[in-house]
Amino acid sequence: MRDKIDIAATTRTPAVTFDFTQHHLKIKGESYPEDVTEFYGPVFTALDNYLSKLGKGSCRFDFELIYLNSSSAKAVMMLMDKLEAAAKKGASVEVYWYYDKEDDTMQELGEEFGEDLENAKFHLEKMAG
Amino acid sequence: MLARQLMDTRAVLHRQGVIFAYSGYVTEPVLSGVGEALKQKLTIDDADTKTLRSVFAIFVEQMQNIIRYSAEKARPAPPPVPDANALMEISYGILTIGKEDNEYVVCAGNLVACSDVERLRTKLSRIRNMSKDELKALYKEQLRAEPEPGSKGAGLGFMEIARRASKPIEFDFADADDTYAFFALKASI
Repeated sequence: MRDKIDIAATTRTPAVTFDFTQHHLKIKGESYPEDVTEFYGPVFTALDNYLSKLGKGSCRFDFELIYLNSSSAKAVMMLMDKLEAAAKKGASVEVYWYYDKEDDTMQELGEEFGEDLENAKFHLEKMAG
Repeated sequence: MLARQLMDTRAVLHRQGVIFAYSGYVTEPVLSGVGEALKQKLTIDDADTKTLRSVFAIFVEQMQNIIRYSAEKARPAPPPVPDANALMEISYGILTIGKEDNEYVVCAGNLVACSDVERLRTKLSRIRNMSKDELKALYKEQLRAEPEPGSKGAGLGFMEIARRASKPIEFDFADADDTYAFFALKASI
């Protein structure tokens, strides 16, 4: 397995930084890809591979999204489901959702995703600045 | 004559408060380009962050609805073979962004099959009459649900538009011919 995934942000896709050795994964930016499956497919695969080997280990996932379209919301839900499933199997998973304090829609969306996490620990935080 | 004609077209749009108008075939790069210009204009207007994001979010959903669901398409004949380099079909629609009083308004229109009109009307009437809390609950339910047959996305687009809008969405249908109706959707922010 690769020990790192580093996908640079584009206008329509977020930066994906998965540091598997530090157990720190991050998605940051805007998400309204032309083709959601094409963009998130490899991200799902990498996360699945990582989580399947995590066992009782711990990891942190940061969502720092400024904006996401409705198709991306579905992809984010699938990421959350994967993290929750790993936590249910015994991993210690911390999920951070950072939102722009000027945009309560993203705060609400974070709350909605957080409601579905029972085993993973959810944190809702304002973005700095 | 030429200038007069185009100026008249522009004046019609101006009288309706339209700032951006696109009528024609829409592709994802069109969405990207118009979207960037829209963000710049909203920044110049000094729109607050919430307004900027909401106008942009509604614009993206409206554009993607045209791309995915417009019944008016241009496609190469014969139909493209499954080849990554094959020409894709492109969808026709119209989208305007403007200002009415102090609100931004995003309108989109495209042809739909007459047989889809009742389904769309039922779906949109339901969403239109929901409170923000009801919309939130339905959005969550749909996020977990399998998309409806024929859906090319998450099936959340109309709900996202209604949630981001500052008042109930408006929609309408006009008969085009025996097969198609023109569908229009308006959201104010």
